[in-house]
Amino acid sequence: MSKERASASAGRVGSGEQVAGSPVATDERTITLELFRYHPETDAEPRFQSYEVPYNEDWVVLDAINWIKDHVDGTVTHRWSCRMGVCGSCGMMVNGEPVLTCAAFLKSYFPFAVRVEPLVNFPVERDLVVSMDGFMDKLEAVKPYMIRDDVNDTSGGEFRQSPAELAKYKQFSMCINCMLCYAACPVVGHEEGFLGPAALALGHRYNKDSRDHGRSERMDVMLSDEAMWGCTFVGECSVVCPKHVDPAGAIQQAKAMGAQEYFKAFVMPKGAGA
Amino acid sequence: MSQGGYRRPHRWAWWMERPGYMRFMIRELTSFFMAGYLVVFLVTLSRVGAGDAAFAEWVGALSRPGWVAAHVVALLAAVWHAITFFGAVPQAMPIFLGEKRLSAPIAMIVMGYGPWLTVSAVVVWWMLR
Repeated sequence: MSKERASASAGRVGSGEQVAGSPVATDERTITLELFRYHPETDAEPRFQSYEVPYNEDWVVLDAINWIKDHVDGTVTHRWSCRMGVCGSCGMMVNGEPVLTCAAFLKSYFPFAVRVEPLVNFPVERDLVVSMDGFMDKLEAVKPYMIRDDVNDTSGGEFRQSPAELAKYKQFSMCINCMLCYAACPVVGHEEGFLGPAALALGHRYNKDSRDHGRSERMDVMLSDEAMWGCTFVGECSVVCPKHVDPAGAIQQAKAMGAQEYFKAFVMPKGAGA
Repeated sequence: MSQGGYRRPHRWAWWMERPGYMRFMIRELTSFFMAGYLVVFLVTLSRVGAGDAAFAEWVGALSRPGWVAAHVVALLAAVWHAITFFGAVPQAMPIFLGEKRLSAPIAMIVMGYGPWLTVSAVVVWWMLR
């Protein structure tokens, strides 16, 4: 927050001035950034604004946006935090590709212009910031936490798990909620209610966890029409995932699990064994 | 923060935006060729039931260049669909040996290409014996 105030108050300052925490330009060359701009209080429609940014081959796109905010235009609004691909905050469309801007090096685009937009398939709050409310609701819907009656009972010690049991879901637990997979998924773009890759992968992660007892609760949600059966396996969610979570794989596995339970319900209807 | 905000226009040409989207559309379109071949196959079965003369006439019709070309296209579509299907198998049906996951190429051979080539070899042997 203090950084927000510092860069906003700096307004337009000379490129020679150094703002605390701002990346330092060390190259004479420049690169053009075209930023998506939209301020709801003044703009009826979004527009693109071009900025000349010092080119430094060590810089990532996020460094360039921070430089613009600190030295040229303090009104540019974007979301970021860790700068090391862990927090998942700085996902944006760079030249049409959903990427973490902290991992997208300028040298990959130089000398051509770099167009930066907010993630597609999300409403835009302001400039490069999208609304995460719908995404958070979808995450919450799959109950992404351990469900068992004795979860608070520690008298028996920890809930143990073998490396083989861990291996079955570990990949899906690496999600950083960056939402790149939602920007890459055409189904999300067509059907607003579709739960989407990250939420379904996270639901599957807990369903595969040997310590969890909440699969039936979760599957009530995941088996609905707007959940995993809405996925047409385009697969691009897994292509853009910066953590190699493979949400497309998780969803197909969840489909197989759901189909098994569907047929099992025929063979062994509830209460038949009672 | 509300779920409001500016909503960008729907992208009708979305499938042209990424090579992966295009590959998806081609994969899905192969099903039309396979459905078409299924119709031809069902008609063939009905001609078999209609007697030798009807079947011979139908086979003669299928020997025309247009039908041969249609079959080649349907075969290519089926092969491409099978390749994409086998490519998806390691993602959809992972095989774990303890805590080690079978690598994608090995899984594709074990669950896809291996059985496919084996069955194809048996069919070819049966036809040529």
